[in-house]
Amino acid sequence: MIVSKNWLTEYVDLPMSVDELTERLTLTGLNLEGVETINDDTAIDLEVTSNRPDCLGHIGVAREISVLWQQDLKKPAPEPRAAGSSVDSQTSVTVKAPELCPRYTARLIRGVKIGPSPAWLVDRLRSLKIAAINNVVDISNFVMMECGQPLHTFDFSKIAGQKIIVRESNPGEKFTAINHQEYELEPGTCVIADANRAVALAGVMGGADTEVSDETTDILIEAADFAPLSVRNTARRHSLHSDSSYRFERGVDPAGIDWASRRCCELILELAGGELAADVIDIAQPVAERPTIKLRFSELPRILGIEFSADTVQKILTELGCEETHLCDQCIKVVPPSWRADLTREIDLIEEVARIYGYDQIPEDTGVKMVASTRSLEDRVLEQVRTTLTATGFDEAMTISAVDRSWVDLFRPWSTAEPLVTSTPVLRRANCLRQTLVPSLLAARRTNETLSNPIIELFEIADIYLPQAGKLPDERRILCLNSGSGFLELKGVVEAIVAAVAPGTELTAAEYSAQLLATNRGAELSLTGHTLGYLGEVSAWGQKQLDLRGETTIAEIDLGALISAAVAIRTVEPLSPYPPVGRDLNVVVDEKIPWAEVEQLVRSGSGSLLEEIVFQEVYRDSERLGAGKKSLLFSIQLRSADQTLTNEQADEVRDNIVAAISKKLGGQLRA
Amino acid sequence: MSLPEFLTSLDSLAEQAQAAFTSADSVESLEAARIEYLGAKSGQVRQVQQGLGKVAKADKPAAGKRFNEVKCLIESALAKAQQQIAAGSEEVVEPFDVTLPGRPSRVGHLHPITQTIREMKDIMGRLGFTAVEGPEIEDDWHNFEALNIPLSHPARDPLDNFYLATAEKLEKALLLRSQTSTVQIRVMENTPPPVRIISLGRVYRPDTADATHYPMFHQIEGLLIDRGVTMADLKSVLRLFCQSYFGGEDKVHVRFRPSFFPFTEPSVEVDMNWQGGWMEMGGAGMVDPNVLRAVGYDPEEVTGFAFGLGVERICMRQHGITDIRALYQNDVRFLEQF
Repeated sequence: MIVSKNWLTEYVDLPMSVDELTERLTLTGLNLEGVETINDDTAIDLEVTSNRPDCLGHIGVAREISVLWQQDLKKPAPEPRAAGSSVDSQTSVTVKAPELCPRYTARLIRGVKIGPSPAWLVDRLRSLKIAAINNVVDISNFVMMECGQPLHTFDFSKIAGQKIIVRESNPGEKFTAINHQEYELEPGTCVIADANRAVALAGVMGGADTEVSDETTDILIEAADFAPLSVRNTARRHSLHSDSSYRFERGVDPAGIDWASRRCCELILELAGGELAADVIDIAQPVAERPTIKLRFSELPRILGIEFSADTVQKILTELGCEETHLCDQCIKVVPPSWRADLTREIDLIEEVARIYGYDQIPEDTGVKMVASTRSLEDRVLEQVRTTLTATGFDEAMTISAVDRSWVDLFRPWSTAEPLVTSTPVLRRANCLRQTLVPSLLAARRTNETLSNPIIELFEIADIYLPQAGKLPDERRILCLNSGSGFLELKGVVEAIVAAVAPGTELTAAEYSAQLLATNRGAELSLTGHTLGYLGEVSAWGQKQLDLRGETTIAEIDLGALISAAVAIRTVEPLSPYPPVGRDLNVVVDEKIPWAEVEQLVRSGSGSLLEEIVFQEVYRDSERLGAGKKSLLFSIQLRSADQTLTNEQADEVRDNIVAAISKKLGGQLRA
Repeated sequence: MSLPEFLTSLDSLAEQAQAAFTSADSVESLEAARIEYLGAKSGQVRQVQQGLGKVAKADKPAAGKRFNEVKCLIESALAKAQQQIAAGSEEVVEPFDVTLPGRPSRVGHLHPITQTIREMKDIMGRLGFTAVEGPEIEDDWHNFEALNIPLSHPARDPLDNFYLATAEKLEKALLLRSQTSTVQIRVMENTPPPVRIISLGRVYRPDTADATHYPMFHQIEGLLIDRGVTMADLKSVLRLFCQSYFGGEDKVHVRFRPSFFPFTEPSVEVDMNWQGGWMEMGGAGMVDPNVLRAVGYDPEEVTGFAFGLGVERICMRQHGITDIRALYQNDVRFLEQF
């Protein structure tokens, strides 16, 4: 809301500088957006919150100033002189949609002379960046900006049947607005109609057919109240937003409607001449009486933390226009003014007292009670995960939670359900809530490839959204990794994470195939039997789908599974003082025997002496080893808690292992 | 002789021999030292070698291995000393350039948003607020109704929210949460007062992406409900937060400007003094009695405050990021600056 400083002085004295004025207004609810000098005037742009439509006119702002600076508010008392016969003998108003139009008033002026507005009026409007059109239209704009009540003036001669009907639009009804665009009206739109057609969109915009022009002589002045939701819907559906709709959406002062009509008529008579028909047509639904609100003085310190005297409270509330009905040591009761629909409860009055008294009076150094806060296991685990990942050279990415439909089927390890879809795309065409982070992170990789960034090691921690019938979706927190290295390197990173979060927990891998993953280079990972996630090198097909140039490996980890396995508190193992003994082994097994089986046998066959088993390498040579065979090189480290191991003891363990491998897996010690 | 004894004698021998070779300043004195330690017949090394026979059989391999290592070490020390004497007093060393770059260790970087959130959580944790999270896809009750946002409120407009397409009616609709206050409702519904939490995470609003808007961003919201919580407590907690986050040596003050939010009354905008002016921090207020009632609290018994801060805005200002989209583009060159 732009207010003109010169205009304000019509209602209140401004003994302060513009800086002082705007500073104080900012701190009491009218936030300064900007100040501009326009000729000899200062235009002050104030942000008015949606609960304060009373400040969408100069008088409302002047009232705030009058309370803050203890100045009198000078509000005009318009008394236009009527001369003609009664208005209801010349026209009629029928409100067929009373729930959309709680009140409609009409006055009629005949014989006006349309012409340019006088300089003072043009200046007023110019400061508000409103173009002057003609005296009648300018006056209606002026009154709206004076008191916040929108008005509309019709060329009465164009009103078919000389009657006004307020109704819902008819199916397929068309309407040409003053912007000369034709609109097909949505059903249920509140329109002002004459005998034949809609002549205005109620509270939003007038019609081209009945607008006041240079030839106009007779005008009908509408001052009404329209239901906020209806006005908002009309404005939105037809993309027609106006100063009028803005005010109706927020609510107008039900007691200010007739004042605005009289004020408008008074100015028209003064500036454009003509003869005002006697009386007013006023179709009004009964207005609910404003309830009395009780404010207990003890509530003020309970909410605000500071004490107020009863006098201060009484003064602030009555100066704001509240009518005092009771005052004692304990409380004050008031009826709030008609223009303050936002004041309905005790807490609303507390806010009024606080903001006028000044929030700067509230201290910022109270002794806030000390309490212990706790950190969740999830937070601790995520910290360990992030620490591990940055230490292993991964940068953290963040990608948006919705994806294009074409990405959904690229990789679906967690769900095959149709994704949840937003009714409007979140970004560009992305309207599917993702069920994996993999395509998003691969797209981030592509971005970096395009930028020729040489090293692209990324991770992201975010939710995926798995639909559940009749319930909120299953949101799972997922860690996604994307690396330029291969399967085993990335598996090493996952192992490092597991070791950091859940030391001693067994991580197993089983072959997993998916179109996105290269043949036999995909795995499902499990932690103590529960699915932890998936890991694999991206297939040529996958690279093509995402326009990737280089080879890449992905992993996706269910952090819930990791958190379940987390070892929150570590306990130390006693350390043996005796030296370890190592043995290297080289066994030849069938190609189909996975390392994990060999390792399993080694672990179960070494008893308590096994401290560590370290895989060295796998070696294939069909000539030396035979077709379908491979040799596995690994070493074991043995240590006893209570003695120095002898070579014989170590050899015995090794021999047992070799025997078990030979017996159970058909493996041979390689000579 | 036990293995440890033997190993100790080896170590001291190595030390002595090296010292003798290094201190020799002529061909003659070096030769004398050579004979003393490496003499074929009665050099000290030879003598120690004889001691090897007395070591227990099981320890022999270890003892033998170490003996050989020490012998090599002494021999190379002699060679070095001989070279040095031959070349005069100049020490002969391999050329080495200390200005060469170190061998790179690649360390990753946390996203600036994560770092901002972590700092905020740390500070609020020290102030006694426990961090909580909740679902990003929410129902009408938690995103609106319980927050005192009735069905007719403009905040519910489909143009201002990402509703899920599955829903038949707006009242039953699920949506991507537009604020993290939803989590506060969930906590209050399940916890009797006092409550002292911060909720944080991703929120979504249909803004066209430009330099200052993105349809997804992060919020952090604080909530304190207890008997006797006042607006002065709100101001004090926010001042302490700002002091910790931005203050450093400077004394930080906060100020309130009246504002309007459905879920707080009174509602204020919070500013802190910053480089001679005021910087907007976010919105705050005393929890509206309707919200307290909606979660089954008695507003006559308890009061509370809530505040919300935009993580992106604070992060961007602190790091001089001028385009919010840079946060979600994931250019490694950008990420590596944090």
